[in-house]
Amino acid sequence: MAAEVRELVKRYRPSLSLASYGKIYVDTTSFMEIGYGDVIAIGGLHYLVLRDEAERSYGIEDPKYWVKRCIVLETGDRAILKLVFHESFDLKLGNLTVRCYRSPEKEARILDLVRGDMRFMQGRSERDAAGNVVRIIEVISGKRLDQAVYEMEEDHEAYFFKDFPNILEKFIGSCEAIGFLHRNGELHGDIRRDHLWIEHRTGRYRWIDFDYTYDFAESPFGLDIFGLGSLLLFLAGKGIYRLQELEEMGLDERSITSFSSNDFSLLYVNRIANLKKIFPYIPEELNNVLLHFSQGAEVFYESVDEFLADLRPCLNHLKEAQK
Amino acid sequence: MNFKKILVAVDTSENSYRAVEYVGEIVGSSPGFHITLFMVVRPPSRDLFPDDASYQERIKTLKGEAKAFLERAEQKLREKGVADENINSLYQDATGTSIAQNILDFQQRGLFGTVVVGRRGVSKAEEFLFGSVSNKIVHYAKNCTVWVVE
Repeated sequence: MAAEVRELVKRYRPSLSLASYGKIYVDTTSFMEIGYGDVIAIGGLHYLVLRDEAERSYGIEDPKYWVKRCIVLETGDRAILKLVFHESFDLKLGNLTVRCYRSPEKEARILDLVRGDMRFMQGRSERDAAGNVVRIIEVISGKRLDQAVYEMEEDHEAYFFKDFPNILEKFIGSCEAIGFLHRNGELHGDIRRDHLWIEHRTGRYRWIDFDYTYDFAESPFGLDIFGLGSLLLFLAGKGIYRLQELEEMGLDERSITSFSSNDFSLLYVNRIANLKKIFPYIPEELNNVLLHFSQGAEVFYESVDEFLADLRPCLNHLKEAQK
Repeated sequence: MNFKKILVAVDTSENSYRAVEYVGEIVGSSPGFHITLFMVVRPPSRDLFPDDASYQERIKTLKGEAKAFLERAEQKLREKGVADENINSLYQDATGTSIAQNILDFQQRGLFGTVVVGRRGVSKAEEFLFGSVSNKIVHYAKNCTVWVVE
């Protein structure tokens, strides 16, 4: 088998030199066995596996054994192959627990729905010899939006007036993209800071990873909308703030003691949602949008359209202030 | 709208059962009342299941639970003195994104003057994420009285 892989690499990518040559897989059911130097043959192409993808969370590398970083031997393109891994698990969101499911079929359907819509990652699905729905994803050359924002060196005030209006404008486009999914009866399912990327070449914001889903009887899009709110909170604040961070920032004691439970996030109860108390120059209307995601909220956004109806005027206000 | 025409919106929870008991207690054998037990169920998404067999099994289980609940609820109403001919029950798969809206559409079409729901009491965070059928009914109901049984 190793000889076959060696022959394929020699034929298509003669400049590639591998430390080891593995097997050719047409059935990806046993994805744990597939690793560096193996080739997945699917849809008429050969995908040389370089490594398993991993997510970094709280400084810990979390390998995703069902997600393979590959080179397409025939074209030299990079690709990510997401193999079938049905799992369900309890996701902790603050004090709440949500039963979460991983659905390859859902992600394949969304890839079809958003084909050509560059607000989303692009890809297609193919069935392997065992009928597994393998998603073949184009690699986005870019960076997580939250990292890009976090690494900006200016202070918050300079960031807020100089950079944030442009970021907000693009973020509104990303929210519209989620609204498009909802209108088509789909949910993103995993709106987190690390699932919105900036593409290096174009500066476009692009959503990734659509394979999570949930079973919500009465508010099917509630979690997506809450995810957008949490992301907005991060972008507007250029970070997440808890009381201990305020102490480190040197906020006076009187200001710190003025915070009540209503000023904190509805789900993540240590995160401050009332940013205006930290940064008084944040306009009232933007802060009001943020407060819809706080423990003090009396009404909630039920749709992305409702959320955007309040958010768009904030952008206009900020753009005016920029002039 | 006829307030004696009562729509009891139920799921299979004990809160719903308490609402049925309450209605039975209030109405009993009083004349002129008609009670409809109405259950709207959103079938789980096929995406949640690895294969058709497990999906169909879950659907079958849910329908069985719904049927058993409605039979038990009807029996409770009879025990409270409601005549058999004044009770009926209906099961419907949810359409669209809101079970509450399905219930209110049915209420409007059937000219029910009273809508009864059980409520389990959700936190703000749960209401945001999961939604609350009873809260939506209280919020959006028109031309009827709403009883919320906790």
